[in-house]
Amino acid sequence: MYHELTVWSRGIIMDKEARDVSSCVAAAARALGYHAENVSDYVDDPDRTNCMVRRYARFGDKPIEDRFVYENPHPDWVVLIEETIVKGVNFLRGTRPGEGVLVINSGRDPEYLLKFLPGHMREKLHKLVVVDAVRLAEQRGSSPWMFIRDLSELAFDRMSTEGAVERLAIGMGIAAPVIGALVAATGVLPVDEVAKVVADRDAMLRGVDDHRVLEVSPAPAVPPAPSAPSAAHA
Amino acid sequence: MSVRGTRVPAHLRLPIAGVTPPPTEKEGQRLFPTGNFRSFRPVYRDKTPPCNNACPTGEQIQKYLDFVKHERFLDGYLTILQDNPMPSVTGRVCYHPCETACNRRDHDEPIGIRGVERFLGDLGLNLPDNPIKETLPELSGNRVAIIGAGPAGLACAYHLRRRGHASVIYEAMEKPGGMLRGGIPHWHLPEEILDAEIAKIEDLGGIEIRCGVRVGEDVCLDDLVGEYDAVFIGLGQDVGRRLDVEGADLRGVVGALEFLREAGMGRPVKAGRDVLVIGGGNTASDAARSAIRIGGGRARIVSLEAPDELLIVDEDLEQGRDEGVEFVTNTSLVRVLGQNGVVTGAVLCEARLSKDADGRVVPELVPGTEYEVSCDTIMIAIGQVQRLDWLPDEFVERGLIRTDAYGRVGERVFVGGDVTRGPAMVVDALGDGKRAAHGIDILLSAEELAPPDPVEVMPYERLNQAYFPHAPRIPAPLAPPAERRRDQKVEVTLAYSREQAMAESDRCMSCGVCNGCDNCYIVCPDVSVQRDARENGHYNIRLPYCKGCLVCVQECPTGCLEKAPELDFDEPDAVVRMETAFSPYDGAHAEQSAPIALLIEDQIAAYDAARRESVGPNGDGGPNGDGGRAQNGAQEP
Repeated sequence: MYHELTVWSRGIIMDKEARDVSSCVAAAARALGYHAENVSDYVDDPDRTNCMVRRYARFGDKPIEDRFVYENPHPDWVVLIEETIVKGVNFLRGTRPGEGVLVINSGRDPEYLLKFLPGHMREKLHKLVVVDAVRLAEQRGSSPWMFIRDLSELAFDRMSTEGAVERLAIGMGIAAPVIGALVAATGVLPVDEVAKVVADRDAMLRGVDDHRVLEVSPAPAVPPAPSAPSAAHA
Repeated sequence: MSVRGTRVPAHLRLPIAGVTPPPTEKEGQRLFPTGNFRSFRPVYRDKTPPCNNACPTGEQIQKYLDFVKHERFLDGYLTILQDNPMPSVTGRVCYHPCETACNRRDHDEPIGIRGVERFLGDLGLNLPDNPIKETLPELSGNRVAIIGAGPAGLACAYHLRRRGHASVIYEAMEKPGGMLRGGIPHWHLPEEILDAEIAKIEDLGGIEIRCGVRVGEDVCLDDLVGEYDAVFIGLGQDVGRRLDVEGADLRGVVGALEFLREAGMGRPVKAGRDVLVIGGGNTASDAARSAIRIGGGRARIVSLEAPDELLIVDEDLEQGRDEGVEFVTNTSLVRVLGQNGVVTGAVLCEARLSKDADGRVVPELVPGTEYEVSCDTIMIAIGQVQRLDWLPDEFVERGLIRTDAYGRVGERVFVGGDVTRGPAMVVDALGDGKRAAHGIDILLSAEELAPPDPVEVMPYERLNQAYFPHAPRIPAPLAPPAERRRDQKVEVTLAYSREQAMAESDRCMSCGVCNGCDNCYIVCPDVSVQRDARENGHYNIRLPYCKGCLVCVQECPTGCLEKAPELDFDEPDAVVRMETAFSPYDGAHAEQSAPIALLIEDQIAAYDAARRESVGPNGDGGPNGDGGRAQNGAQEP
């Protein structure tokens, strides 16, 4: 048994959410006796607002071989902390066909989100999980988008964590329901054990109960869209 | 971990680990579509400015102010003509709902829109040819009958002609113009301006005005409905309401509307030297000011309304005061006094304005406060009605014509003007004519009438107010009051000069509408706003590169740029997706992992070997005490 989790998020404003998801999964796995690793990838330069950043966790019952490698070569669990990433990048690169569990934090329908995935990405999916973590998270302030809003709303309505006030507790805000949905939909780690390492346990359990799963039937094989860079190494 | 001292094979030597060429390098932009940073997309979405929304004809005021600002007067004039056939008239007499709605009112003072409109209208009248004449479509063969050559009827004929339909206007009076001629004094609207504007409409061709024909007496409505493809009834309310008091039949008691009409038609009229005008609205004001000019004496306006309740527009109130009109407020006429059948005075008393359950005005007299005043003329201006006895009863309700949602009383009979709503503005009638022409055109094209689309009006709060320096309104020049009192024909309000019109237009905040200010183009840190001309509609966002920082939205002065959630745009095929966040090809980091791990293993093995040599089997330190660093260092290439 071996799983790789890649969490995609956006720099500064939603970085901590991504970090919390990977940290909690790795910590819970380690507490359960697995070999586990959590990587904060600083290649991605997370101090630029809105740029895409990744956080990685991996765990298994055997020692992890690629200890010193940041990037997960074959992620089978992929989490998008912000829904528009679904349009932005090939986050299923390296995922083996039919194995991917994709968790998206979004209030939209999974069918609508699935539309944005081209065939070569869709055929890697096993499940699409949509959790409206914004709604399920602990609410602060009047706006449904407010979780913590100390930097005068960061100019626009965005999910704000880093850059405002760093919160030390791990597994707060929208990270908690996302962890809940991920753990419930994958069914590998016991919910109770993961809940022990998540700060906002209630919100996590709301995510466990309230998410939508779309089983993606394997799409007919479509050749990958010609990608921009050199295909020689692909 | 440290890989110092390791040998990196050539194929793994990336410039910086897994980084694409920056956008400044060749191919860099294609490899690095930063559009995937974006969770909100800036979109150009023009809203309706409040002036445009308030104008019953829907004049695109922002658009022509922008033209005037850039000295493109002809374009400005043509813009007005799309909605309003007579800008020289409305530029003089309109009660400017646009200025009342102007967002600049909350900023400092509203724009002098009417003055700019008049400037453009007069400029258009002075053109040798009518510029729209060549652009008109061929006549379609459809003919429409229009009843009434007032603003509603003339506007309807004009807009029908713009859509290619001919019309015949039936006018009961001997000259066209309706209330424009019969209700508005010459010092407000000179006769030659009105004549010129009407001539310009007639000159378009396909419009025939038959004066002196009263529908209901000379022609029958049913005949018109049978003969023409459609009918438009565009009537005002030109019959003054009568006041039922003792002595109202004495000589010297006249209706203010009748007085204004006789004067407007150019017939000889007389006014006494001491005139009482009963009423608190704009007709009362016009009558009193005309009486001063014609009679040369004094005029007093007796109104039930308190000074702050008067229904006279502010500038008329002020101009009237300057000319010497006196106001007797909170007062009612009790009876008219006379000798030998001629008015000599009146009994007034204190009163208050109140309304009954239906909203009708009911005077509340204060008993015991009666007093006498002397006067030689009393003008009644307490409201107006229209004779509608020639129409079928089912069309008429409480003195007004009742219409359906599209302004119709029959399948092909449209109605407009004051007769549908009670006394209103010239521009309301012009708007009725335009809407009816639009409806008739749709019917004649055998399409379905539909309600207009809802509009989003731009509020002041959504403008970027910091961009608009405070600037006072340029007041419209006025003739000196002494000069004005002399003659009916001295125009009170004068025109803006060319420079004044341009300066006043420059105050427009272009609420919610792009005016090509280039701000988005300048502030975009990613060079992602493109344009080919500095005009509205010529900007676009380079979506593969726009990072959605929204600086453009924040800095758009007019608020026409909005942010919209990126995922609202349901165009999967238009998505420009990066293959990975940073690596130019598949898993550059992952590919490195195996060889790098091998290198590290080699390194560790070499280290261990060196250590084994220098350190004794019991591990208590080597003979030279350097922990094997000497050998390790010797491996450096």
